[in-house]
Amino acid sequence: MRKAIVFLLLIAITSILPTFALAQAKIDVLVKNGTPNTWFKDSVANNDVLIKNATVMTAVKGTLENTDILIQNGKIAKIGKGLTAPAGVRTIDATGKYVTPGIIDCHSHSMLDAINEGAFSVTSMTRTRDMLNPTDITIYRALAGGVTSANLLHGSANSIGGQNTTVKFKWGHPVEDYPIPDAPPGIKFAMGENVRQTTQSPQPGRALRYPRTRQGTIETDRDAFLRARDYKQAWDDFKAGKTKVQPRKDLELEPIVEILEGKRLVHAHSYRSDEMLNLLLLADEFGFRVATLQHGLEAYKIAPEIAKHGTGVSIFTDSWGYKLEAYDAIPWNAYILWKNGVVVSINSDSDERMRRLNLDAAKVEKYGGVPEQDALQMITLNPAKQLGIDKRTGSIEVGKDGDIVIWTAHPFSVYSRVETTMIEGEVFFDRAMDSQMRLDTANERETLEKLDVNRAPGTGGGPPRIPAEKRRGERDEAEYGDGGNR
Amino acid sequence: MRSKLFLLVLAAICLSFSVAANAQSYAITNAKIVTVSGATIDKGTIVIRNGLIAAVGANIQPPADAQIFDATGLTVYPGFIDALTNLGLGAPTAAPTGGGRPGGGGGGGGQAAVTTAAQPTSNSNYPAGLRPEDSSFDELKAGEAQFDTNRNAGFTTVLTTGRTGIFNGQSAVIDLSGDSVSEMVIKSQFAEHVSFVTIGGGSYPQSLLGTFSALRQMFYDAQRQQEVEKQYSADPRGIKRPEADKSLEALFPAINRQMPVVFNANRERDIVRALDLIKEFNLKGVIAGGQEAWKVADRLKTMNVPVLLSLNFPKRTASASPEADPEPLETLRNRAETPKCAAKLAAAGVKFAFQSGAATTIGDFFTNAGKAVEGGLSKDAAIRAMTLGSAEILGVDKVMGSIETGKIANLALVKGDLFGRDKFVPQIIVDGKVFEQKEPARQTGGGRGQGGGQAAGGPNLAGTYTVNIDIPGSPITGTFTFTQSGTALSGSMNLQGGNTPIRDGKVTADGFSFAATVPFGGANLEITVHGTASGNQISGSIDSSQGTVSFSGTKNP
Repeated sequence: MRKAIVFLLLIAITSILPTFALAQAKIDVLVKNGTPNTWFKDSVANNDVLIKNATVMTAVKGTLENTDILIQNGKIAKIGKGLTAPAGVRTIDATGKYVTPGIIDCHSHSMLDAINEGAFSVTSMTRTRDMLNPTDITIYRALAGGVTSANLLHGSANSIGGQNTTVKFKWGHPVEDYPIPDAPPGIKFAMGENVRQTTQSPQPGRALRYPRTRQGTIETDRDAFLRARDYKQAWDDFKAGKTKVQPRKDLELEPIVEILEGKRLVHAHSYRSDEMLNLLLLADEFGFRVATLQHGLEAYKIAPEIAKHGTGVSIFTDSWGYKLEAYDAIPWNAYILWKNGVVVSINSDSDERMRRLNLDAAKVEKYGGVPEQDALQMITLNPAKQLGIDKRTGSIEVGKDGDIVIWTAHPFSVYSRVETTMIEGEVFFDRAMDSQMRLDTANERETLEKLDVNRAPGTGGGPPRIPAEKRRGERDEAEYGDGGNR
Repeated sequence: MRSKLFLLVLAAICLSFSVAANAQSYAITNAKIVTVSGATIDKGTIVIRNGLIAAVGANIQPPADAQIFDATGLTVYPGFIDALTNLGLGAPTAAPTGGGRPGGGGGGGGQAAVTTAAQPTSNSNYPAGLRPEDSSFDELKAGEAQFDTNRNAGFTTVLTTGRTGIFNGQSAVIDLSGDSVSEMVIKSQFAEHVSFVTIGGGSYPQSLLGTFSALRQMFYDAQRQQEVEKQYSADPRGIKRPEADKSLEALFPAINRQMPVVFNANRERDIVRALDLIKEFNLKGVIAGGQEAWKVADRLKTMNVPVLLSLNFPKRTASASPEADPEPLETLRNRAETPKCAAKLAAAGVKFAFQSGAATTIGDFFTNAGKAVEGGLSKDAAIRAMTLGSAEILGVDKVMGSIETGKIANLALVKGDLFGRDKFVPQIIVDGKVFEQKEPARQTGGGRGQGGGQAAGGPNLAGTYTVNIDIPGSPITGTFTFTQSGTALSGSMNLQGGNTPIRDGKVTADGFSFAATVPFGGANLEITVHGTASGNQISGSIDSSQGTVSFSGTKNP
């Protein structure tokens, strides 16, 4: 519903708005409030756009002053000085503003109607793709923080969790537009306390689930790989005519076969260095590469070993102490890993913190002194590499997707705000547009609340409704941690 | 509230009796006849013989042996069809607890044994809730008295299906008359019904993620089972015998497009998920509920997926409270938009049939159909969606749904505006059998009864509700199962796998309360629950020594 409104609003603003008196009133409001929107009036149906005169942080080729970026057909067509807009291309004046690639969150559970299937220790048959909720307001808030892409992961309730979905936050679009079509598929693995369920009190009537230890966890993984090998053999035999009856199509084992074939990326929730090493050894044994160690609080202890495996690490900058296995974390984790040549990304694992990943990147400059561009890469190009989407996004280069954020100031400043977020040249967040939408929704609410159907029942009797004091995404960090059981 | 109360009082007072019309013929004369299939006849006659419509027209002479009913001032419609109910299936069975529920957990001690006796035995390889072979036909209870309320409202025919589990089982089309199940049933198997729910009790799937994977795996397994069985029957030598599997075999008609698969889905994203499954497995899909179906009308039209559209429109249940958070905009919009859905589906060319959507007050069906008309649907289209349009979707349009010679004599005689509050059905003919009810004298003033009997104007809460309990930081889902007798409420609550009976249950004019002892964190916790009910929604609060939390729930269809 909301998305429909946003979409309609976009259409309305860009095309038919000037023809209605009401719409004219909206423009008047914008002007009166001192936030005239400069780009929409002369825009056209396509998403081609020229961003003029910005400070462009490319994430690969340094920071370019007074530079223009031309986006055509969703791709970055030109980067340079003094570019002119081709006919029908709208212009955004970004004088005094900063431009970065869209931020990519390598660990998120946003817009998912369900996160964990915890009934089994291996739930590789589940897909977060089935659970996408394109009406989750978190998406819009993430856009307001400059996030354009995210790795939507299954939770960490079990040794092998479900299949991931790598999405772009195309708020207002139908759900099928969200997954990045050419992103390699991935899957969640998990180790440690969440899998062992030591942080949960057993629920009445429920049996304890195997595994209950770290050794059981790695055994569960190995068992799954052995079963997947047998499964593949059974199919190979059938296809070769060695057996008569076709094997069962097993949705649990097929993704694990894909891991063995190097077609599916493993994103492994891990805290302690010993369990990370165990998994890397297991990967060697079965001949695949772990794409990322997620969280990796103790990864700094084994940075050279991780680098040797070509495995990435996706971390929190400075979040620790929220459970026993999180006590050895240090804020220099990113620096030490970076220094050892590991591809590091910084993730949020949180609907709320996702909006401030730019500040998390800024912190790694402070702790250890990671250079600015390398720090920026940790929320842009590096997660793109870890997710296998760096050919299309993650930096500002000609030929890549027009996934762009315009900031009011240097993005590592606490005073900086996102002005505009675009994906493939299409604007999905714009601060001036947001101001207008707030007025619109307030008006709409006023109208709707007056309808009979929305009035409170005349006869009382029921107890007053209890306010939802703590809504999802507004819990504090200590309570949230890495998402608890996520 | 007043009108709902009135309808209930009315239903309680009305006498209904039946006249056998099979021996001789029966003729309705001087009636306005809405044939639906053809033009409306302003003043005409319908002749019924042997349970069928023998003749209909403006200039028909009743046969000499006919018992004649002068219907001056009445409008005759084809008997109305409620395209999704749970009628005739008795009290809901306990929420399935899953087959191989792991032992050893201990559970909630001795109190947990309330509903386990009702657990059906089965030779299925799948836990309860994942058994597509469950069949309404098998579970139907005979006897037409149980349908008085629905018949008196004008319904002759309903689709009826189980309400629990992921696979709700196979539905049947029944007429609301007959002393045996065989007499009642029009179509013993219409469709397989699917809900996007979990099966609880700690069994897989315990999250929606797993629900979709489990559904997919069963459809794939059914495809393979069919292949292998075919292969084996063609030439069994050298092939290990495929294991008999009645659950997978029950899915064969569905995967072969011989039987529709109905997905219960109201929100846009659930409808989209259903459409994705329909496409993936090339199913003959149907959507039931469909509150937000208008948002995907184009896709429904393209994929030729009809909608069993619920007329149980969302209503505000919470009382005004200065301390409450404002309601989400989405909720406010949803209540405003839902009545307009039918008109938008009609405009897009999507087929739909109206259903009561587990509404607690059956009278809402027609008044809400009236709201759909206010929302832009033509009256003819609204009538069609509860007669011939429904019959088409349910595959029974050759035998009912319109007033035509040769069709089953299912007729509703209506006094007053069909969509109005004072609509009354003095006579209804089901399968040729005539049922009459006398219009009660109008009650004036507050006719609320004083104690005793059915809570006057109070809700009928019986049923199973899926309830979300908003424990800060760890919201949980459970079920409340209620049986109501007058103002007394009994039943059980199932939270986190433990089944607990409820105590001191009371139903008031617009709410309910009960107490219970629940196992919580290894100890027993005393709780009291206060709630309100509206439509198929309940909400309220749970008080205990641990504090107060709110809950909201929806009656399982």
